[in-house]
Amino acid sequence: MNTQIIAQMVVSGALMGLVYALIAYGFQLTYATSKSINFGQGELVMLSAFFSLTLLNFGAPYWLMIIGGLLFGAALGLLVERAAVRLALQQKSEGWILLSIILGLLGFSAAENIWGRDDRPFPTPISADALHVFGINITPLEISVAIGVFAVMGLVELFKRKTLLGKAFEAVAADRDAAELMGISATRTIMLSYGLSGMVAAMAGILIAPITTVGPTMASALILKAFAVAVVAGLDSGFGVVLIGIFLGALESLTSFYVGSGWREAPGLILLILALAVRPNGVFGKAAIVKV
Amino acid sequence: MKKTLLATVLLGAVAQTALAADVVKIALTGPFSGGSAPMGTSMRDGAKLAISEINLAGGIKVGSKKMKIEIVERDDEGKNERGALIAQELAAMDDLSGVIGTVNTGIALSGDKHLQEKGITKIITPAAGSASMTQWANKADKPGVKELSIFRFAAHDGIQSAMVVEHAINQKFSKVAILHDATNYGVSGRDDLLDQIKKQGNKLEVVATEKFNIGDKDMTAQLLRAKAGGAQAILIWGIGPELAAVSNGMAKNEMKIPLVGGWTLSMSNYIDNAGKNGDGTLMPQTFIEEAITPRAKSFIDGYHKAYNVTRIPSPVSAAQGYDAVYIFAAAVEQAQSENTGKIKLALEDLKKPVHGVITTWQHPFSTWNPANVESHEAFRRSDTVMGMISEGHVVFANQADRARLIKNASK
Amino acid sequence: MLKRFLFLRGAEFFALLILAIVPLWVSNSYALGLLTLLAIYGILLIGLDVTVGYLGQVNLGHAAFLGLGAYAAGLCVTLLGWGMAGALLMSSLVGLVFGGLLALPALRLAGPQFALATLSFSALTATLLNEWEGLTGGAQGLSLARPPLLGLSLSAHGFYWLCIVLLAVVWLLMRNLLASQWGRAFEALRDSSIACDAMGVSTYRHKVAGFALGSGLGGLAGGLYAFNFQYLQPQSFTYELMVILLLGVVLGGRKSLWGAFFGACLIVLLPNLLSNRLLFEMLAAAGLLLALIAAARAYRHQSAQLFQRLAPIFAMGLLVVGGFMVDNTESWRKAIFALMLFSVVVGLPDGVMGFVAKFLVRSLAIAPARIAAAARLESVLSPQRADGLPLLELQNVRRYFGGVKAVDDISLTVNAGQVHGLIGPNGSGKSTLVNVISGLYAPSSGAMRLQGKALPVGSLLKVSRAGVARTFQNLQLFAELSALDNVMLALRGVYRTPLALLLLGLARRDERAAQAEAMALLDLLGLQNEARTLAKDLTYGAQRRLEIARALARKPTLLILDEPAAGLAKPDVQTLIVLIRTIHARGISIILIEHHMDVVSELCDVVTVLDGGKVIAQGTPEVVKRHPKVIKAYLGVAQEELAEPLIQKEFPAC
Repeated sequence: MNTQIIAQMVVSGALMGLVYALIAYGFQLTYATSKSINFGQGELVMLSAFFSLTLLNFGAPYWLMIIGGLLFGAALGLLVERAAVRLALQQKSEGWILLSIILGLLGFSAAENIWGRDDRPFPTPISADALHVFGINITPLEISVAIGVFAVMGLVELFKRKTLLGKAFEAVAADRDAAELMGISATRTIMLSYGLSGMVAAMAGILIAPITTVGPTMASALILKAFAVAVVAGLDSGFGVVLIGIFLGALESLTSFYVGSGWREAPGLILLILALAVRPNGVFGKAAIVKV
Repeated sequence: MKKTLLATVLLGAVAQTALAADVVKIALTGPFSGGSAPMGTSMRDGAKLAISEINLAGGIKVGSKKMKIEIVERDDEGKNERGALIAQELAAMDDLSGVIGTVNTGIALSGDKHLQEKGITKIITPAAGSASMTQWANKADKPGVKELSIFRFAAHDGIQSAMVVEHAINQKFSKVAILHDATNYGVSGRDDLLDQIKKQGNKLEVVATEKFNIGDKDMTAQLLRAKAGGAQAILIWGIGPELAAVSNGMAKNEMKIPLVGGWTLSMSNYIDNAGKNGDGTLMPQTFIEEAITPRAKSFIDGYHKAYNVTRIPSPVSAAQGYDAVYIFAAAVEQAQSENTGKIKLALEDLKKPVHGVITTWQHPFSTWNPANVESHEAFRRSDTVMGMISEGHVVFANQADRARLIKNASK
Repeated sequence: MLKRFLFLRGAEFFALLILAIVPLWVSNSYALGLLTLLAIYGILLIGLDVTVGYLGQVNLGHAAFLGLGAYAAGLCVTLLGWGMAGALLMSSLVGLVFGGLLALPALRLAGPQFALATLSFSALTATLLNEWEGLTGGAQGLSLARPPLLGLSLSAHGFYWLCIVLLAVVWLLMRNLLASQWGRAFEALRDSSIACDAMGVSTYRHKVAGFALGSGLGGLAGGLYAFNFQYLQPQSFTYELMVILLLGVVLGGRKSLWGAFFGACLIVLLPNLLSNRLLFEMLAAAGLLLALIAAARAYRHQSAQLFQRLAPIFAMGLLVVGGFMVDNTESWRKAIFALMLFSVVVGLPDGVMGFVAKFLVRSLAIAPARIAAAARLESVLSPQRADGLPLLELQNVRRYFGGVKAVDDISLTVNAGQVHGLIGPNGSGKSTLVNVISGLYAPSSGAMRLQGKALPVGSLLKVSRAGVARTFQNLQLFAELSALDNVMLALRGVYRTPLALLLLGLARRDERAAQAEAMALLDLLGLQNEARTLAKDLTYGAQRRLEIARALARKPTLLILDEPAAGLAKPDVQTLIVLIRTIHARGISIILIEHHMDVVSELCDVVTVLDGGKVIAQGTPEVVKRHPKVIKAYLGVAQEELAEPLIQKEFPAC
């Protein structure tokens, strides 16, 4: 009984953790090229989910909805880049933090007024009836989320390694100045990264919406966790976010079972501070030697 | 820059006082954005529906003239600080006749003192947390206030938790788990439940008391604790989306036990998001969106038409907002004045029955007695029925209640 | 001068006067409530500005300090029955202590990492306040009554005046502190903590102090918050509030008390003003008008990018058009707020007050504060003994990075009064050696002595205080500080006023003396006309010279110049040579790392050549230049005959 409970807790927690990881991955994409992240990423997830839901309600087939949602996410990502990030990066200021928060606020308010303040279900063809796997209850819906997370991250990595555009991305990430000398436009690459990041956010929204439901606040709790996962893993850690995400998710579950549900987040937070204290660039991040 | 801002504040205050003439000014407050917005907006829209009906009929008859109702609308976002500031703002309006609203108990606790200080009449609806009224009552260490201008028009948690516990006992359960959210509402609901279990003879063993945060989606841990303890029912206090997460989590973990909880389980964001997993969920209700009486029919149709919906997001909030306005209007008419103090006195002794959508209100409030909060509470146990979710709608859990209400209305 | 004084002090006095007398003719309790909150948020944001503005850290924990302070005060009253004064003291103390603790991660983390650490701290605080029901009442909240202040029970008016008095006191103390060496140090930390330590200004001490101070003010504001609302709930102090506070500081203008105060006005008043439809439409129209005027001005002066000009117009235009289209502005409040914020952040990067201040200074023709006249150089750099005795001795110093032996068993002596050259090809270990001497890296093994005493290891700060000053090859100037402030920050031995007196504004004499000395050094480096220019706006050559001036402000016995001529044009190199001679003439010993052979030949008494982390040759420049190992190291050729013409080409001065 006991091991079974632990296994169930770990699996449920890990699934949430994968979602954190996917959103965290979106942070990484923009950080790699521009050393900036979108603090309104949660609103991107939410707006894309609402948009996809609207497509479904207009009778669009499921595949079309996914494409539409991804395009919408990419467009929002580009908008954030243009309106919030580009100017701040040119001025070498940290204005992007505030501007991206502000755009998030705008998106939140727009969603509240356009789609309403209520949480709504997101229809899905995949069943939510539990299956038994080694005594653990898991739904096909949850499995689809896990598969989706890996598929999205895999595809993006493939894109980065196998296509010319993707290699330009990697070049700018590795050394922006050198890449520019080679004739790669950093501005374009940063746009690309924000577009991609928007798509990843949209995919995250579509994947989790059937579980979390769609509402203006659907991502506000997720986004802080995702941020934590991204930073603790290291903002340049690649697949490191998956491990940290799973770990954090499982830890939260186990804490709320064994310590008490009110303390759910506490051990994670303490570990997080400790992890940062020991490895400021993240557990899987690349440590840099101070040079002058 | 600062000076001009100050000037505009003052200007605003002046502009507001200049407008008063032959109108009854009522403020509607509540969370119209953020997490508890479905309740706030339903309440507001229900109240506005009543107000537009009254105004369409010419207004409230005061002396020889008819006074129309003017609305001041304030969004408190469910934040205590905003709530307190809004209460201060309302308290400073000289011509305000009264306030209707508040969803979050915390806001009643942080803001109502400003209204009470100025003696401005307020009808709290739909906030159900006990503390919003007990803060004025006698306590062990200090006596309550002598005069109170705050009334409540909602089935307070004491009534609701009594019904929930009673139901569990009637079903011959012996072990239950309590789940609640980490907000003021959830925590005080938990305390009320524990209190009622004791009051009703300690017949229930609480095998798990679990918390969840607003925005939590994964309830596995809490549910497994309940399951491990052998709970036969889950008593729950929280708000829509998280409640749905609990319901869905129960299905996933194959816990086929009843879910019983506060009135918020009737909100559309629970019903929709729990889907078929929500069927059979029980909760105390003051209003069920079913056209069992002509009044209910006209209210429901009116709401659907006015706000272009096919279902009210929170029917209880809407109906209570609607009836609260009619009760307030009746008090204005009886007082023959838009003066808030006179309205308060009239409310404490309403002579004529008010035909509302929930029921026909006979003398809902009486003169404030700090030893008995019931004096300013409109709802009694008998005004509250058990509702049940069935195929996406809230229906009467007991047909006897339905029949009783139809009979009451036809009287 | 008088005009400037009247303007600055007059504005402060006027604002205070208005704030103090407004309640006398406004009996409206709502206006009073807003003003009280404004004063409280003023204190809160001044505190936040210390960490976000001056220290330049993205601090997401300030809302938690407000909460901790509020609960501390609340519990002092409800549990211990304390009065208001004691409770407020306690809440400040709580903020101070926890703020000091929060500085510890800040010592190592920056940017997003630090933001996350502070965010975690505030989430932990919220969890604690929520879960410790026995103490805090948890989610049900904590109700308290406003206690008497020193036996006096306060009315709403009385409490307001208390808040105003506290705001004024905080304002005064902060103004004095920020105008002193402390304020400079806070700002310098943001640009380069390495250079701070190297200039003898303790990063550790100032960061901890800065955070403690900022958070202490947060705690104090929390105490007032508790007595204002008299009802506390943990959920009031979360991320959402934090975001609003952050926006307030940036909107008002960072690094400015006025900015913080104006930010407080905005976040307190704006949400309440927007409830009024008419007022909203007036604000939107005024905003659009402002954006248009600003864009027209910017167009004329070509002073901003197209995006910067158009975006605010677009945002404000959206506001005006949207205002006509929606029927309920109340439900769009957040969007309205966002559009206004967007316009300000894009259009006015210095914040509203930064813009207003610039505008007023220009239109009222207010001259900047006068700078003290330069002191005599002799009094700043008093002559030192150049007795030729060993000054710096290195014995078998090693520094390994993993398997890389960057410095491998180097022994070296620098004699007092010498200019000691250090050369070698790229990657030979010069920079690492200098970093080991100056304390950036601790040596893996080996001993170092300065004037016979052991040189501290692994601490830039301690080495700097021992009398070694350095410049940096990759400039480490405090970019946001003026040239004068860069030098004043590093000055040694002038700041003597104790903190308590300094807070009371009694450190003016120190400041004048420091200015005079700093000006002398700027004169020496030919930077006297750039004293007010921000370091980042100086030309490259001037930045290099400023590095030297700053190092000289340490009044060192040993000065390490790390490639001072790198990237300089020919005439500038000549000026530099003359300059180094002048410095040398004051008796200061110098280690000179340089690639320009002509500079080395002209200046150095002794040259040590490194390659592969080892000393390969040492002697006068002439001797070293002909050393076969040196030639091999530079050219990779063994035969001297073959190398000779090449090296002549490379170093024509030889």
